[in-house]
Amino acid sequence: MRAARILRDPYLVAIVLAGLAALYPIVRPDDLTTLGLGFLTFIFITQAVSWNIVGGFAGQISFGFAAFFGTGAYITAILWSRYGWDPVLTLPVAGAGAMVVALLVGLPVFRLQAQYFSIATIGVGEAARVIAINLDSVTGGASGLTLPFNIPDKSWFYWAGLTLATVTFLVAAWIRRHRFGLALFALRMDQSAAESLGVPTAIFKNLAHVVAAFFVGVAAGLYVVYLSYAHPDQVFGFDLSIGMVLMNVIGGIGTLWGPVLGALVYFPIRQIMLADPRLIAVNLLVFGMLLILIVLFEPGGILGLLSRLGLVARTGVRLRSSGTPRDVDRGVIVE
Amino acid sequence: MFDLENVAALAVAAVLTGGLYATMSYGLALVYGVMKIINLSHAATMMLGAFVVLQLNRTFHLDPILGSIVILPLFFLAGMGLYRVAVRRVADVPIASLLLLFGTWLVAQNAAYIIWGSEDQSILTSYTYSTVDVFGLNVAVTRIIPFVLSLVMLGVMRWFLGSTDLGRAIRAVSQDRTAARLAGIWAERTSMVAFGIGTMLSAFAGGMLTLIFSFTPDFGGVFQLKSFAIIVLGGLESFTGVAIGALVLSGVEQFSILIPGWRASLVNLLGFGLLVIALVVLPGGLASLAARRGRKAAE
Repeated sequence: MRAARILRDPYLVAIVLAGLAALYPIVRPDDLTTLGLGFLTFIFITQAVSWNIVGGFAGQISFGFAAFFGTGAYITAILWSRYGWDPVLTLPVAGAGAMVVALLVGLPVFRLQAQYFSIATIGVGEAARVIAINLDSVTGGASGLTLPFNIPDKSWFYWAGLTLATVTFLVAAWIRRHRFGLALFALRMDQSAAESLGVPTAIFKNLAHVVAAFFVGVAAGLYVVYLSYAHPDQVFGFDLSIGMVLMNVIGGIGTLWGPVLGALVYFPIRQIMLADPRLIAVNLLVFGMLLILIVLFEPGGILGLLSRLGLVARTGVRLRSSGTPRDVDRGVIVE
Repeated sequence: MFDLENVAALAVAAVLTGGLYATMSYGLALVYGVMKIINLSHAATMMLGAFVVLQLNRTFHLDPILGSIVILPLFFLAGMGLYRVAVRRVADVPIASLLLLFGTWLVAQNAAYIIWGSEDQSILTSYTYSTVDVFGLNVAVTRIIPFVLSLVMLGVMRWFLGSTDLGRAIRAVSQDRTAARLAGIWAERTSMVAFGIGTMLSAFAGGMLTLIFSFTPDFGGVFQLKSFAIIVLGGLESFTGVAIGALVLSGVEQFSILIPGWRASLVNLLGFGLLVIALVVLPGGLASLAARRGRKAAE
């Protein structure tokens, strides 16, 4: 019983898991392949968890998160390669830049209801990519930007990625339990009802968007430092936005651990598939089919499946019915 | 650059492309009207329409115009099938239906990559480069034919929705699903037919687009965004609104080349730009949108 309660504390579980993961570079500092893959996994977890704040908690499915990733990536790339900043110092600026873009996008686009928001965000991502390619004096255009090669070692990246993913997760967990997160749940289930109860839905949606964009921007900054290369088709690519949707749907949209699980499933498969150029199309074909099957048969994703088998407690929001989230059951809102 | 002949030529091109855009968007508006969902598989259908027409042209040397007509029953049935097998189950949950149709798009797009590859495709016909003289302007035949056929198609649709029982049922369900059901309309079947027609219209538009543009399995996405901008500009459901939205978008696209320093690669941003402008400065369109959503929520 006690153990079950401890397992239910997301902060504690996350910190313990992160602590264990942090030991790997100490035990095997020469396993560069795993350290590199680990770093990329943490970047994907960060993206998925951030996306979930907007797409899961607030129910605003966005297909445009690549705009934030690209912005963060180019801010770090340019400050580092042209102005000689230390890459680590560029990361907060990358996050802040992504926040500005999120606000510029969110102010008009959040005026739309959820469905229209989704379609409009497809345009946001595409617009950002086209603009980046055409601003060739800044972004290097279609030939990309080659960055300095004097980068830290893989263990550093592994730890940096792990720290970022953990912090992102803790912030998401805090949001979910806090009044802000409950307000997001409320507006997700019925925007008019939430508004009539005094939830400032427009402000909260933008706030969620901006917070999510910050972490995506920082992750993007780390990512380009790791790759030493930035190209609009890569850091603004639609497949990044699709990936964030897929990881959440696979793991369990709107849940705390769903995006983490989703990233752990999505990233390795993607990595194996993309290693062979002939399999790139097969990759998205498979994930598209998986998306259809999940929506039709198990909208809760992996976590939904596990809870159906009785292995975990049911949490989060179901795609189909607007079920009550557990936190509300537990009486976190008293007023 | 601003001489009269140039402007007139651009205006003619805008009207001709506008006709095709109207047909392309009408399928999206119809499905939205009846089911209140945005059909993200619209992009897939347009792309598949274009590739099936290409395949018919390669295998049987079938003219792309005839091809676009031949494929209509195929896509009508495919649309109804997709509705029956999948969309029906999630039709009342906007987010789930959106994700489902997005999945359909991903599957179709990547299947097309596997079958037809990622190269730019185009269909050349004997009349691809011919022009005719319209009031002293040279106009490409490949622009006139889709325009005329689009008008015919929209005329048929107008007749169908106005004068047949099924068409009137579709309009009734669009206006108020509950009231339509109370009046004895089988809303489920009506939705299926509307989805079939929507799919058919976007495949038709895709086939016609092959006359003007080259295409890859990616090409539906850009036109889907344009269609969305058009139906938002036009107030989402109205027939006339779609036509006006289509004309506005194609007009802006054609005349954009008069802007100094303009790059052709930016042209696909205009649809998105118009969409944002419509959202920010045309609260009337938004108010009607919100009212419709309110009605849907009240059901």
